[in-house]
Amino acid sequence: MTFRGMLLASVAVACAAMPVSALADTSDKKIALSNNYAGNSWRQAMLTSWDKVTGEAVKAGVVAAADAFTTAENQATEQAAQIQNMILQGYDAIVLNAASPTALNGAVKEACDAGIIVVSFDGVVSEPCAWRIAVDFKEMGRSQVEYLSKKLPEGGNLLEIRGLAGVFVDDEISAGIHEGVKQFPQFKIVGSVHGDWAQDVAQKAVAGILPSLPEIAGVVTQGGDGYGAAQAIAAAKRPMPVIVMGNREDELKWWKEQKDAKNYETMSVSIAPGVSTLAFWVAQQILDGKEVKKDLVVPFLRIDQDNLEQNLAKTQAGGVANVEYTQADAIKVIEGAK
Amino acid sequence: MRMVDRISRAPWIWSWFAAFLVWFATIMVTGGASTLGLSQAALTFAAFSIIVGIGQMFVITLGPGNIDLSVPATMTLAGTVALKLMDVDNAMILPGLITAILIGIAVGITNYALIKALRIPPIIATLSMSFIVQSAAIWTNRGLRIKPPSFLADFTTSTTLGVPNVSLVALVISVIAWFLLEKTIYGRWISAIGQSTPAARMAGIPVDGIRFITYVFCAVLASLAGYLLACFSGGAALNMGTEYLLMSIAVVVLGGTAVAGGDSNVPGIWGASLFMFLVVSMLNTYGLGAGFRLIMTGLIIISVIMLAGGRQPGAR
Repeated sequence: MTFRGMLLASVAVACAAMPVSALADTSDKKIALSNNYAGNSWRQAMLTSWDKVTGEAVKAGVVAAADAFTTAENQATEQAAQIQNMILQGYDAIVLNAASPTALNGAVKEACDAGIIVVSFDGVVSEPCAWRIAVDFKEMGRSQVEYLSKKLPEGGNLLEIRGLAGVFVDDEISAGIHEGVKQFPQFKIVGSVHGDWAQDVAQKAVAGILPSLPEIAGVVTQGGDGYGAAQAIAAAKRPMPVIVMGNREDELKWWKEQKDAKNYETMSVSIAPGVSTLAFWVAQQILDGKEVKKDLVVPFLRIDQDNLEQNLAKTQAGGVANVEYTQADAIKVIEGAK
Repeated sequence: MRMVDRISRAPWIWSWFAAFLVWFATIMVTGGASTLGLSQAALTFAAFSIIVGIGQMFVITLGPGNIDLSVPATMTLAGTVALKLMDVDNAMILPGLITAILIGIAVGITNYALIKALRIPPIIATLSMSFIVQSAAIWTNRGLRIKPPSFLADFTTSTTLGVPNVSLVALVISVIAWFLLEKTIYGRWISAIGQSTPAARMAGIPVDGIRFITYVFCAVLASLAGYLLACFSGGAALNMGTEYLLMSIAVVVLGGTAVAGGDSNVPGIWGASLFMFLVVSMLNTYGLGAGFRLIMTGLIIISVIMLAGGRQPGAR
């Protein structure tokens, strides 16, 4: 047997050993990630997950390429131009975290017309030809108040920290929180500030409103702002309320310290940045010819008192608690939506 | 009366007046109970805007077209690198500080090199520089939040005789800046360059040298602010400088410094920085929605600038 023959034989064996779905006709397909922003820990984790999972997929020959592109300025126009470039470069699918739910529709439509599969996630687009992997942000907000109602049955004053004003996600989570307050009327939102999902902005905003607030029982957040709120409240020497965290490593670490020191209890909820990898597998499945519903829902990642240590240990320093999805997970989500 | 007249014509008085008004309106919500807390918070957070604002003011004073857009990226890079180097070790505080300042110097030198050697307008040069610096910050530690050394964390978050320590640092820097500006030949020179560069050149002022020093000074102040902010907020974050881009320019303009250059003042930066923090606190305290809040912030800033800019030309 020649060397080439041996090689062919081993490839054949390897192929036969692989699950059928991985042996798709997507091995010559190219997938691109169009991302609008990279300047915070969540986005960094999202990109790292993408690199890790797609790198393995490319090595295994599931797809030919999975390149990530990030725009510099977080502008819809810039991202639209980026998508047009991807069309010209001949990608078969574009996985998209969009700067705007509507402003990219033109570019997305162009891509669809060129026969390209567009899967949006996290920052989804409203263009009907694209797929959307959305998070139930409303439920994420509501579940925080529900948790607080169990933790503090007598209720109390809440401080709400919102995200970036004018962004769809901020409106959704906040609507969910207000829904929760309606459901549990023992709570009252006495103050609301915008923390822009950033610890330092949240710290500044909370420090500014805190002096004029009555005692606070709980802080409802959107993620990326809990540690800043804790810093501001500690600096004002006020009793520490129950601050709902957002899965960031600094937040979890602070929670762990408080838990060890004075048995502090709270919970933490956010979307796993690894949702980018779910979007990748969904795109791969669509390229593979699977019938997939246009709107999919991804569950959010919640951390509680008893699995804090376990999640903290898994979370990269400076990162966000994360789950990376496999092809099987994607198939499950797709099946679940049918 | 002459005293009142003189004060009302001082360009910085309006930002102080606005800051006081907003401060008063905010503490009245709680009937004065929040006075101490709000004042301390305002002084603390204003300190960072003051430090970056002073640097930006020096650059803007150089005349039309001079601006430093690399301030936020410099803050982020200085904060991340310094905290990584110190690594929670109190003995490393000084090396950390020196590293932060060296980063500022390096950014300042490169900024001016781009402006001078490659003849790129400052707005483009410093913006492109900020991309490079921000990428360097992302590359150094990917958003890793390392805690500051305990001594620095305590120092930046505590008060001396009721006054936040960071605002004392800002005060020292302000006094130095005021001295440089009003009492030294360097200060006269940057004003002269801002009023007319060709005239300054003909008068034998070393224009390039002065501009070079000013850009470096601005970057150093930005890196110092980044160092302090990172220690204050319990670790550096990749987006920690973002809001200081517009902030550094806004406090300069609100403070009564001429946007066209050649005329600057330090007290105005204080009034404007306190005002910028207090106005957000006030609108938050009154519980107004985000859209309304932003409109109000815009309107209030416009009115303060109109009042401050209402002085007669030639009354200088």
